Amino acid sequence: MPPDTTRSGTTRFLRLRAVEQRFPGLDTPALAIPSLDIAAGEQVAVMGPSGSGKTTLINLLTGLERVGQGSLIWGDTDLATLSEGARDRWRAANVGLVMQDFHLFPGLSALENVLLPQRLARLALPAGARAEAGRLLARVGIERPGQAIETMSRGQMQRVAVARALAVRPAIIVADEPTASLDADSGAAVAQLLLELAGESGATLLVATHDASLVARLPRVLRLESGRLKD
Amino acid sequence: MLRFIAADLRRQWAGALAILLLVALATALGVVVTLQERALRLGSARAADAFDLVVGAPGSETQLVLSSVFLQAAALPLLPGTVLAGLIADPRVAWAAPVGFGDFIEGYPIVGTTPALVEGIGGLAQGRGFARLGEAVIGANVGMRLGDHFHPQHGRVGEPGGTHTEITYHVVGRLPPTGTPWDRAVLVPIETVWLAHHHDEADAAGAAGTNPFLRTGHSDATHEGEAPQADPPEGDVHNDEPLKHEVHSGETHAGDTHVGPTHAGETLEGEAGHPDALDAPIRAESLSDPHAPGVPAIVVKPRSIADAYKLRQAYRTDHTWAVFPGEVLTRLYSTLGDVRLVLSLVASGAQALVGAAILLVVTIHVVQRRRQIGALRALGAPRLAIFAIVWGEVALIATGGLAAGFALGYGGALALSSAFSAASGVSLPVAFVPGDLARLAGLVLAAAIVASLPAVLAYRQSPAAALRG
Repeated sequence: MPPDTTRSGTTRFLRLRAVEQRFPGLDTPALAIPSLDIAAGEQVAVMGPSGSGKTTLINLLTGLERVGQGSLIWGDTDLATLSEGARDRWRAANVGLVMQDFHLFPGLSALENVLLPQRLARLALPAGARAEAGRLLARVGIERPGQAIETMSRGQMQRVAVARALAVRPAIIVADEPTASLDADSGAAVAQLLLELAGESGATLLVATHDASLVARLPRVLRLESGRLKD
Repeated sequence: MLRFIAADLRRQWAGALAILLLVALATALGVVVTLQERALRLGSARAADAFDLVVGAPGSETQLVLSSVFLQAAALPLLPGTVLAGLIADPRVAWAAPVGFGDFIEGYPIVGTTPALVEGIGGLAQGRGFARLGEAVIGANVGMRLGDHFHPQHGRVGEPGGTHTEITYHVVGRLPPTGTPWDRAVLVPIETVWLAHHHDEADAAGAAGTNPFLRTGHSDATHEGEAPQADPPEGDVHNDEPLKHEVHSGETHAGDTHVGPTHAGETLEGEAGHPDALDAPIRAESLSDPHAPGVPAIVVKPRSIADAYKLRQAYRTDHTWAVFPGEVLTRLYSTLGDVRLVLSLVASGAQALVGAAILLVVTIHVVQRRRQIGALRALGAPRLAIFAIVWGEVALIATGGLAAGFALGYGGALALSSAFSAASGVSLPVAFVPGDLARLAGLVLAAAIVASLPAVLAYRQSPAAALRG
């Protein structure tokens, strides 16, 4: 499938300026980044020990947390100016998330899990969503889309989660330790899929990870330490 | 979203079912109390419908109504025969009939009365009324058939007593179902009850005291013995002046310790030795006879409402006491209402506690699922969708529980009512009224409001939680 060009440029590049995130009771900011730019379609690894501000950065980049100070602009949208509801809508439309613990919902099939975010975000599924979900599941190697999620292996589950992240053709894919809870082979397969699918769709890919083999395959690495970027 | 709720509930069906059952049981408790109290009220009021006015000897009004309307065994003081004679002759009275408690047959009370009462409580469904001393009319639920013969027994089955083998009744008619204790009654001529009773008395003192209805007047208690049974002095009797007579009879009897066969009784007893004696036709005159033996209660149908009040006034004397069963029941209901209030409060308390416990469980559950809820948000579910999921699940379980509770309560009330009916003959109509619907709606509304608490909690949960450790 050729890269999706309809949304290119508008959302995929990041311009982050003078962001400082403080939490109550802490003297030093959890995150302080004077400037960070990521180009559209770029594939970036985010590294750093726990407590380095990695999770905070991801929460800010995905709109899960409100930007305390500074500006965080994806394409033409400054997340710092959006309300919680608006950030939710923006995230639903633009971000595909892959999490360490999959967060798939038992009792639903693989296909239903892939479609769940869209079902919850709007009343009716957009036309073609079901076909796209089926195509993505086939692409990540899930042969039976109707299989109940709780009967799958962990590697299969994370592949379903990857398919779910891509279901809305997001401009940005964010993966938080996508391979950390998998064995080496499954982790490698998931890493491969993430890179391939992000490349195919042209989405900007951000991966927070400790996985050295995954970091090695990403062209750009951001290192965080004590809330600051090291270069 | 519904699919998700369904999957979620299916996954946790055991917990959901437990909560649903708790809600259902707590609701059923309140519903049973409400329905049963209403059924008791409707059922007893219906049973008292045919009885406008009841006259008895002074004593407990409640006991008089319970005994005459509900046929509950109790030792009632007897009225002198002159009272019945006076009432029958009274122009303000449409009909008056004695309710004299006889013995039992297979646990069914035998009630001595007159054809007037048979007509008064709804006529006959089958056969004909009793016309001879040995004939009986049975209530709709009495386990006998037309043409059956039976001997009355002292006391209920299993209680000490004897069989009046010398008396044999022949069933000639059956009453239509009335939903009252009279469905379980066996109606016989009052004269036969007098006869059986008198025969007993003459027989020996051995069986004395076993029949609470009949023994009263004959126990050795002097007060009860003196007034009703003894002969009133001839000179004092004026059928048209019962009240005046009453005043006198009490005085005269104080000195008259002779409790003996009455004129009417004497005749009957003389005949009782012969099997043919019971073949004699009943005579209306024997009731009007001022020498007739006493009865514990007289049911009176006044000609008009005004007459009813006048009669009640006229028969409230030292020796007679007239009551409106409806009035006595109303007083009972107010007591019943208090009981219901207490039970309702207990039931409401139970409901509130169950509600609070469930709220706690659901809240803990929501907190435990913080990460899952956070993940839903992170994946793009709007906050409103989260609210709707949690609210929908809680409201669904609670509403299901409430509906099941109403059904359970209705079933429970039906079971209680039928058990009560089987025992007493009073049919208790279990029915919902529109107010119950409003109550259900109120409870559903309350559940909806309560369900929004954990939903708000979920709504406010940070989506970033999903990505934290």
